[in-house]
Amino acid sequence: MSNDPTKKLIDDKGIRLDGRQIDQLRDVKIISRVLNNADGSCLVVWGKNKILAGVYGPRECIPRHDASPYRSKVRCRYNMAPFCSLEEHGRSGPSRRSQELSKVISEAFENVIIAESFPKTAIDVFIDVLQSDGGTRCAALTAAAVAIADAGIPCKDLVCAVAVGKIGDTVVLDLSKDEDNFGQSDNPMAFASRNGDVLLYQMDGLLTREETETALKMAQEASKKIHALQVEALKEGFEKKGIKFLPLSIKPEQVQ
Amino acid sequence: MTRILVPGEEVAQSSQRLAYTYTDGQKTYATVISLFSPEGKVIPLQGPYEPIMDDAVIGFVSDSRHSGYDVQIGSANKCFLSSRETRSSFKLSDMIMARIKSVDETGTIDLTDARLLKDGQLAKISPVKVPRLIGKKNSMINLLSHATGCQIYVGRNGMVFISNEGDFSLAREAIAIVEDQAHISGLTDRMAQFLADKTGKDMSNPPEVQYDSMPRSEGGSHSRDEYSRDRPRRHSGGFSRRSNERR
Repeated sequence: MSNDPTKKLIDDKGIRLDGRQIDQLRDVKIISRVLNNADGSCLVVWGKNKILAGVYGPRECIPRHDASPYRSKVRCRYNMAPFCSLEEHGRSGPSRRSQELSKVISEAFENVIIAESFPKTAIDVFIDVLQSDGGTRCAALTAAAVAIADAGIPCKDLVCAVAVGKIGDTVVLDLSKDEDNFGQSDNPMAFASRNGDVLLYQMDGLLTREETETALKMAQEASKKIHALQVEALKEGFEKKGIKFLPLSIKPEQVQ
Repeated sequence: MTRILVPGEEVAQSSQRLAYTYTDGQKTYATVISLFSPEGKVIPLQGPYEPIMDDAVIGFVSDSRHSGYDVQIGSANKCFLSSRETRSSFKLSDMIMARIKSVDETGTIDLTDARLLKDGQLAKISPVKVPRLIGKKNSMINLLSHATGCQIYVGRNGMVFISNEGDFSLAREAIAIVEDQAHISGLTDRMAQFLADKTGKDMSNPPEVQYDSMPRSEGGSHSRDEYSRDRPRRHSGGFSRRSNERR
């Protein structure tokens, strides 16, 4: 990855393209219990990212040969909607990229879900990216963690994720799409909120040892903020009562 | 004060054995989204049905074979009623109430003491809300059957049978309200008020309804916590994950 000469990602005052400081997250809103028919669900709006997660399970594992007699199988499916970005996604089924993300997200959750309680079953997590603007895998992990907790599936921890990258030779928090495309490095990380265990660390582009340490600290700080929002969303979801619906600002009107 | 716990949230400063928690040796943490009551109980707000021996469950026959019947009780694992366990024969889609005879280490459920539930319909609620629908000393379920005139049977798996005699649509409505507001206190009083408004009957002292095999709450409304705590969990048998790793 090289710097695009037409764009300056950080100005002289240390302000980024979208006006953020180097250690500032985008605006994040998390809402749980948005779907009626899934066991657990969550909507995450993270900057321009919009991600919807729904959880079923533990339920019967189909195909049967996938089931384990010792534990429940955690299956995540990350999917980008065809309309989610400027380039088209998903016109011909799962891509190489979405298969990889499905795999790494499943593996992150295998570490926190207490799957031994439900032998021969499967826990299905469906993550749909409705709109994307960089950092969707972190937002997807955040959404899925809330949806899994909302479904009442026993887990040791809430997973919270955030990306740290390098643009213009500076380590910055939570890359947007342009910063990711024209920056030098992108490092999505996921943590267990309770003890800070690293559940996912991917690296696209290089960082030095010192930069990695800075990045890790920065991400751990930010993940605490994300965790606070997740907890708030979960509690709010159970305090409010009544019919759940997708919280769009426009309310449907009676037609007849 | 009651507060909501989320997975990974600290429950106690010391290592304790509580239902719906785990410990790392020093402290105790919640595993599910739950309420932490002032008495120190963890009451889950949401979650799947975990079958335990002697639970009374309600389901319907989904397959009939020579050796017995497959029963749908809304659990992820197979649920089987052997022909040896019952004298009566059932048809496909018959609703039955039964007792769990055993749950093996892979979660397969065997039923016994099955009986047919005739002329009624099934409603489904979250299994963790079942103690609230039964109520302390069956107060809620007595209230509902008195007000609606229906026979109402509640299975531990969250399936509810409502007989067709009586105002079953009101019963369904009331059950939905119980499920929705199960975690908000004073529910029985609010429900009595709601039913009194709807039916015009006096709800202050509903007569106790006698059913021959009604699942009874044992004392408190959340007695299952202690019940399951003292019982060996089904995966702590000789076939556990740990013994497999040693091999």
